[in-house]
Amino acid sequence: MYEEKGNAANNVQHEIRFHGRGGQGAVSAAALLALAAFEDGFEAQAFPRFGSERRGAPLEAYVRISSLPIRAHNQVYSPDAVVIQDSTLLHSEPVLQGLKADGWIILNSEQPPADSAATALRWIVVPATRISEQLLGRPLPNTVLLGALAAATGWVGLKALEQVIASHLSSKGEKVVKANIEALHAGYQAVAPQQEQAS
Amino acid sequence: MRQLLEGSRAVAEAVRLCRPQVIAAYPITPQTHIIEHLAQFVADGELSARLINAESEFGAASVVLGAVAGGTRAFTASASQGLLLMTEVLYNIAGLRLPLVMVCANRAVGAPINIFSDHQDSMSVRDAGWVQLYVESNQEAVDTIIQAYRIAEACELPVMVCMDGFFLTHTFEPVAIPEQAAVDEFLPPFQFARALDPARPMTLGGGSEPDNYLEYRAGHHQAMEQAGEVVAAMDTEFSGQFGRGGYGGLVEPYCLEGAETVMVTLGSTMGAVRDVVDRLRADGMAVGALRLRCFRPFPAQVITQQLASAARIVVLEKAISAGAGGIVAGELRAALYQAGMSAPVDGVIGGLGGRDLTPAVIEAIFRRAAAGNASAACRFADLNADAVPSTQES
Repeated sequence: MYEEKGNAANNVQHEIRFHGRGGQGAVSAAALLALAAFEDGFEAQAFPRFGSERRGAPLEAYVRISSLPIRAHNQVYSPDAVVIQDSTLLHSEPVLQGLKADGWIILNSEQPPADSAATALRWIVVPATRISEQLLGRPLPNTVLLGALAAATGWVGLKALEQVIASHLSSKGEKVVKANIEALHAGYQAVAPQQEQAS
Repeated sequence: MRQLLEGSRAVAEAVRLCRPQVIAAYPITPQTHIIEHLAQFVADGELSARLINAESEFGAASVVLGAVAGGTRAFTASASQGLLLMTEVLYNIAGLRLPLVMVCANRAVGAPINIFSDHQDSMSVRDAGWVQLYVESNQEAVDTIIQAYRIAEACELPVMVCMDGFFLTHTFEPVAIPEQAAVDEFLPPFQFARALDPARPMTLGGGSEPDNYLEYRAGHHQAMEQAGEVVAAMDTEFSGQFGRGGYGGLVEPYCLEGAETVMVTLGSTMGAVRDVVDRLRADGMAVGALRLRCFRPFPAQVITQQLASAARIVVLEKAISAGAGGIVAGELRAALYQAGMSAPVDGVIGGLGGRDLTPAVIEAIFRRAAAGNASAACRFADLNADAVPSTQES
């Protein structure tokens, strides 16, 4: 049923873990990322950490992006990136657990945490709540953070993200789609200069 | 064309393509999304079916029993204690030889109450007389549902498609949804010779006496045994027509050639098992795996053929018969004994109540089994022995 071959090291293999609170749409964000990667021609998988859904409760969602068929259905334990939708989770949840030594942290915050410079971890800090309030009129940081992730890692294309956001939100009307695509671009733009400085 | 869909959505699409006329269900996690999607299809006019929200799983199963008895194609889905509440009706559906298809979104059974996945629910009704197929991926779930209606209607037996709750039902992954015309070609409209019809009054499910009950049960058993060939044939026919799949029919081997230690397992766990087998093979270990796709009927002959050259077998299963051990391991040992084979069988219970069977856990099971000196009747993988409650005073 699958191509019977192993996962070669030079193939694309990314694992991303989303941390959010119930109601912030971590599960939707994970699904959008997987959809966009699939749109870009990769194999992709997205799923929530299985649990009862309660508004405000910490939750996780996972994405795998691969150039080979994805066979395992395990949770993600050693992510290449974490996306943290709510900075209060930094202190209450093990959000960095298992993160690869040079992994990305896409954090929704006004400022980086004090100890962020101490490791090889790559911190990308974006005020996604503020940006989303400006553009969407509501604190919905998802699309901003996806733009930031795309700009930082290059694992998924901006065009593909635009497409899946447009199709995912089409039932909510053109205005909502347009605002979310602006939010996506704002997230991307917020990071692109940080990237240029770093390189 | 492949799409990235949630497992429950993919399953609902497959059910829609099979054109059921009656769907009855009662909501229970993790089955709920399947029925929600089907309800949406009915509301949007994409599926012409009566959708009945029953007052309980007992009621839901009874509704689809009646629907099939009346000659209509029907569908239901449940899980966990919901499936157990159906138990009496499941036996009746099977005993009446009604060709129904249902999905079990596999979930643990309380107490303690636990919404996560294992196989205790469907394993608990293994003797009810249903064909049981356990799928590995959402693509296989889609394809197996379509096959299941053909199997059910050819054998006049109900078929339960078992898919791991959450691990499959809630996971977005690429799935090809077939065209309606192709499914119509594979699955013609339901024709049921024994359908109840007021124009031809008859009794369905009348009483039976000691002088003929045994014969009904024997006939049911024989029909189940014969269904194995149909399960295998439908998988082959499907893959020929749709150009994908071919899930091994009854069992699916992986890297069995030259394998000395073989893991036998069911369901979505097999994906990680494949990855671990690849890694251990690269390390020079002679390991392989065998996935039981069909658990009922129990394909003893095919299993013993596949395991003929295995020196050691380890069964990894997500259900337990408390006080006896692994259900699959027990049946497998009986099949080996009957076939005159004496390979030791390490019986491992793991993944209960949603505990993730990680590649590291699977690798440890393989390594211990391959060491060959530790074959256990029943042991637990990834067990925190210190946390096991004891009834004895310490």
